[in-house]
Amino acid sequence: MMKTNSITRKFGKLLCLDVTYGDRIESLKITGDFFLHPEETLDQIVTELTGVAVPIQKDVLIRKTRYILDSNEAEMIGISVDDIINTLEEATQ
Amino acid sequence: MKIFRMITFQYFNAFTNMALDEAIMEFVRKDISQPTIRFYGWEPSAVSIGVFQGVRNEVNLDATKNTGVDVVRRLTGGGAVYHDRLGEVTYSLIAPLEMFPTNIIESYRVICDDIIFALKELGIDAVFSPINDILVNEQKISGNAQTRRNGILLQHGTILYQVDVEKMFSLLNVSDQKISDKLIKSVQKRVTSVVDQTGASIEDLKKALVMGFKRNREIAFGDYSEQEKSRAQELVKERFNNEIWTFRL
Repeated sequence: MMKTNSITRKFGKLLCLDVTYGDRIESLKITGDFFLHPEETLDQIVTELTGVAVPIQKDVLIRKTRYILDSNEAEMIGISVDDIINTLEEATQ
Repeated sequence: MKIFRMITFQYFNAFTNMALDEAIMEFVRKDISQPTIRFYGWEPSAVSIGVFQGVRNEVNLDATKNTGVDVVRRLTGGGAVYHDRLGEVTYSLIAPLEMFPTNIIESYRVICDDIIFALKELGIDAVFSPINDILVNEQKISGNAQTRRNGILLQHGTILYQVDVEKMFSLLNVSDQKISDKLIKSVQKRVTSVVDQTGASIEDLKKALVMGFKRNREIAFGDYSEQEKSRAQELVKERFNNEIWTFRL
């Protein structure tokens, strides 16, 4: 059965996740007042995280998300990869 | 040293303001336009939201519609901002990345130092507060946001001249809290303005900002080129006044 959850956490900046999930993450929206250069990197992160199995494998997703940042020479300010994945785990428990 | 073009204060609507920033970025990247510092206001008043923010989460869309306040999604991150027509001066600085520190916080600091200098000219002691704020006695007087794309840095930000917290709260959604006198007082304690700090006029603030941004740069005063204005109008239609962009999150 599908569940939806919306969760907001304050790190250096705000991070909000809206997630629909069952055995897998069906849809994910990441919003907030953080900074990420280049900004388009966020779409790749969302694509990577959509469809992954629930419960999530945190270490794997942290590694994959960091790879996306590194390969785009992207810099995230106000939140971290760990913040995203930890919040995703919280939202899907 | 590259010469900056400085464009003095003009009013535009929210969509044109954001489109001019992007158009200038494109022309600076092609080396057609000089690095640019522009000052501007918002006519009509507007709310801008950060590139990663959900518009329905952040903005009271009924209130903005009923009061004729435009809503625009920026190219930059950061939070939602109410830009009162008479309440602030906004600036944008657009330049090749190599003219500024690679470290993002350091580049914020370099540009914010110009604003701090300007405020000092008005007798206001302000400090840079990473990531992107300028504070006076722990109260925010300026918020700033940056993006970097295709080798070009854009930083824009507001310097608050006077603040109407109640109006601001009627237009922005405050997460899970009702607008109460207590909350308004709490925000009033966290935000300040030039009017709160000195008797300076908004013209004094504009002059001081010109001095601040001029002091370490070679400057030539100029205006928008016809190419920039034309491209900006395309970007207004394609992006900034387009619901696909505004409501994408």
